[in-house]
Amino acid sequence: MGIQLKFWTKFLLALMMPVLLACDDEVDIMLGSSTAVLNIDAWVNNKSELQTIKLTLSQPYFENDQLPPGVSGARVRISDDAGNWYDFTENERTRDGSYTWMPATGEQLGIPGRTYQLIVDYQGETFEATCRAGRVPPIDSITYKFEEGRGPIEDEYRAEFWGNDLVGKGDTYWIKTYKNGKFINKASEINIAYDAGISSGNGFDGVPFISPVRGKITPNEVDSDGQREPSIIHRDSLYVEIHSISLAAFNYLNEVIDQTDKIGGLSELFTSTPMANVSTNLANQNPKGSSVVGFFNVAVVSGKGKRLFLF
Amino acid sequence: MLINKLRPHAAHCFILFILMVLTLSGGAFGQARYTISGTVKDSTNGETLIGASILSKEAKTGTATNSYGFYSITLPVGQYRIEFTSVGYSTIVKNIDLKANLQIDVDLPSKVQSLQEVKIVDKSVGGANARNIEMSVNRLDIKTIQKLPALLGEVDIVKSLQFLPGVSQVGEGSSGFNVRGGSVGQNLVLLDEAPVYNSSHMLGFFSVFNPDAVKDVKLYKGAIPSQFGGRTSAVLDVRLKEGNMKKTEVEGGVGFIFSRLSVQGPLVKDKSSFLIAARRSYIDAVASAVTGDKFGLNFYDVTLKSNYIINDKNRVYLSGFLGRDNFGLSDDAKFNWGNKSATLRWNSLITNKLFSNVSAIFSEYNYNLAFNQDANNQYAWHSSIANYVIKPDFSYFISARSEIKFGFEGSYYRFNPSNTKGITNGEPVDNSLERKYALEMAAYASHQWQVTPRLEIQYGFRFSRFNYLGPGTAATYNDTIPGKRRTVVREKHYERGQTIASYQNPEPRFSLKFGIDDQKSVKASYSRTAQYVQFISNTTASNPLNVWTPSTNNLKPTVADQYTLGYFMTIGTTGMYEASVETFYKKSVNEVDYINGAELLSNKYLEGDLLSGKGRAYGLELYLQKKKGDLTGWVSYTLSRSELKIEGINKGNWYAARFDQTHNLKVVGSYTINPQWSATADFVYTTGTPTTYPNQRIVSQGYLIPYNSNESRNDIRVSSYHRLDLSIRMEGNPLRRNGVPRKNRDYWVFSIYNVYGRKNTFSEYFLQSTQRVTANTPLQADAHRVAIIGTMVPSVSYNFKF
Repeated sequence: MGIQLKFWTKFLLALMMPVLLACDDEVDIMLGSSTAVLNIDAWVNNKSELQTIKLTLSQPYFENDQLPPGVSGARVRISDDAGNWYDFTENERTRDGSYTWMPATGEQLGIPGRTYQLIVDYQGETFEATCRAGRVPPIDSITYKFEEGRGPIEDEYRAEFWGNDLVGKGDTYWIKTYKNGKFINKASEINIAYDAGISSGNGFDGVPFISPVRGKITPNEVDSDGQREPSIIHRDSLYVEIHSISLAAFNYLNEVIDQTDKIGGLSELFTSTPMANVSTNLANQNPKGSSVVGFFNVAVVSGKGKRLFLF
Repeated sequence: MLINKLRPHAAHCFILFILMVLTLSGGAFGQARYTISGTVKDSTNGETLIGASILSKEAKTGTATNSYGFYSITLPVGQYRIEFTSVGYSTIVKNIDLKANLQIDVDLPSKVQSLQEVKIVDKSVGGANARNIEMSVNRLDIKTIQKLPALLGEVDIVKSLQFLPGVSQVGEGSSGFNVRGGSVGQNLVLLDEAPVYNSSHMLGFFSVFNPDAVKDVKLYKGAIPSQFGGRTSAVLDVRLKEGNMKKTEVEGGVGFIFSRLSVQGPLVKDKSSFLIAARRSYIDAVASAVTGDKFGLNFYDVTLKSNYIINDKNRVYLSGFLGRDNFGLSDDAKFNWGNKSATLRWNSLITNKLFSNVSAIFSEYNYNLAFNQDANNQYAWHSSIANYVIKPDFSYFISARSEIKFGFEGSYYRFNPSNTKGITNGEPVDNSLERKYALEMAAYASHQWQVTPRLEIQYGFRFSRFNYLGPGTAATYNDTIPGKRRTVVREKHYERGQTIASYQNPEPRFSLKFGIDDQKSVKASYSRTAQYVQFISNTTASNPLNVWTPSTNNLKPTVADQYTLGYFMTIGTTGMYEASVETFYKKSVNEVDYINGAELLSNKYLEGDLLSGKGRAYGLELYLQKKKGDLTGWVSYTLSRSELKIEGINKGNWYAARFDQTHNLKVVGSYTINPQWSATADFVYTTGTPTTYPNQRIVSQGYLIPYNSNESRNDIRVSSYHRLDLSIRMEGNPLRRNGVPRKNRDYWVFSIYNVYGRKNTFSEYFLQSTQRVTANTPLQADAHRVAIIGTMVPSVSYNFKF
């Protein structure tokens, strides 16, 4: 369902949850056996830092004890439409499936408007994906605001970032937030924007990001009982980055939200869509060859940070 | 007029068909024959009686009153003893010397009401009536419905339907109901002929029909008569009371969740009456008092009806409905939805053999969603479907053995998929989508004909046409990979009134009854139905945010063919038991499903996210009902399958529809202990709804994503659903302390829903633990199971009438 709407219903339902009859239990479910598939996690950007592409195999769904097995021995390259090649090399020591490329001074992977191709050769098969790097607006500022609690939410400080979407329809962004240097990585914290709004149908173009987007940089902290607790306290810092993503990547992250960000309980009445596989922009050159999952995106990044001082 | 708009060829066919019908029923032209016609009413309140029998033993024939209580029977000159009967009423016999046309209006006195009225199921609930040609039809009268144990003690019509064979629901909290493997949006739900686009209050826990205002409920699951069309699965025809013609009456009830009050009475005695019934929930007030939080979850509805008898031959009716659900938090975040409808009807007796009704109908469903952060940051969303219908309908009673029905239907739709206005940081933004317009027209005729005393047939024809109209923009999509979002190749704008796309369908209907003897019969039917407006919903249960959309140049109408065969019998000379066995097979084309990650709301290119394919459903329905005695009730069992085959889902193979239920068993029993106390119990067992599990996990940018390497859909079942409910009804003392009968009546209902507190699975979902993850540690996955009502729910309600 439309994520705009999902946002609002989730908000309403989250507030009302305690009084509703629904019950939501964690259960043990037996899932059948299955074979692993190659997963290429290739999100690179124009920052001058080590760029990593991770190749792993999928695992049984409830494999909660082991990290995904790394895929060693692949050849991983990116080319662009200006004839440049970026070779990602495997760390021979760890062999954990990480393939890296370090930009030399002045080198940049991710120039707005340029199209990039990822080529992965593995066990005699070739997997490819393309991505056109998008443009990104600057972040003007980050602000903190005290909000009184509502329902189960206590009084807390909430953060917003300020910036205008670039004029012209169809810019898509992933807004990533780092709290005290650590990426806030819950499914419920995935923050994507289509122009200044949340979904493709919106009319928010060239305006400040709308409040659900700019306010979603506030981390979603919960205590051990799953109750929300104040997310930003004295001396916490937030660093916010806007990554330009392709429309395909925007759709992909939407699907990721659909499949991973569940609040359960009565909200299932609104959100219980069938479990479905997320899309991929990778393809095996041989359509009859092995399956592949994962995603390739080249981002252009802007960022800004600020620390909260209460006294 | 309407017929002119049909294609000339179709119009010719149609006229030819009517002529054929007239010729076939030619028996009318022999000896002198006269017509007896009139209206049958309840003598106490003047309400017309639907389906009352008019029988002549001498002529070995009979008829029944129509939805307006009117009947007409044509017999040769002679002496007759005509019996007027209706269940729950005393029979009236009239001796008639028929030598001229006669008008006979009959007021049937109801039987001793106080105790008999609580006895369950007198009417043929299961459609097991071996004498009637109707098959795949269930009629529930309001007294039966009132006896079933209900959630939170509140009588509910849609919930009561769940106890019938062939009817199911995805789970508690889902709006609407499913019939013979069809989706919720494939049911035509009519409230006094007005289409109801969302029949639920409070996310499906209650339906919009106020039982105090309802007179009659009829569900057509197959063999759909030709006067109905526009949906492929079923027709729920709910008729409201007209209002007491004799005296003013007040009825009401007080329960845990809401209270009801209705007033009815004469405006002009025996000429005009009114009924007004209202309900309002107060769970919000109760919950606020308990938790101290200020939020709202409430609904109200008002049902109105009035009528005026102009003269012997003309009568007008006006019905109206207004309902609203509010779901929100104070003033800054709210969500509300509701229906409103109005029906103006004019009954006219053109001759004593030709009865007409013309209805003008308006119906609208809409919802609003609004969020105000502050003056500079607001968001408001509105979506609606509005429908205007004109429906002239005629019944021509040729003879006691032959009746023709014909008519037209013109329906204009206005869809407002999303009207969205926002302000972000002070800058206003309008993000509304184009409205869509459509015109649906149909002409129909059918002939019910008793060929021999044993063989009765009904054959009919409906011709429907749909125009998707401008102004609007029609997009053309490319064909890409099956199951993936399609992209727009070009768009074309159309002006007001221009046809963007049109479809038409001939819809033949046929049914046959062969009476083996007085107590046993075999019935068969075939019907084709076309559906031009689609209900867009991809969640397990439909919900108030789901929208309706017309057939367009991209989205083709669903067309279904249903075949049924059944055996019906009455057991015992007193008709103590009725039993039936029915089978059905249904196949359909252009069923809608959705791509993975479909955006169904506020999506200008919605059609790019829709998939289309084939459907099939088949099943066996068994039904046994005990109709008389202190213990009454029924057992209903359905074995069925409902499947879809859509390119891009489940690798293009057949998969179970989300409302598919293999087994569906219902048992209802009601016991009258003594004149004051009675008890009812019901038990429901159904196979769990289908679901899809992941078998693998993939990690992408640190997120744990479920993955199904088989690309299957709905190949797993959640655990089966079962539930026991109990209720006890206590009649108030009918006498005062001094022994004088009380003028008012009252009763208490004590009930327990889900007696053994089973947590019936509504859905199962998989997710990564919500705790924050540290780098280089395995992600933790959990499975969750949601039960909408996971405990037993006791309740008490007090009901009165004076």
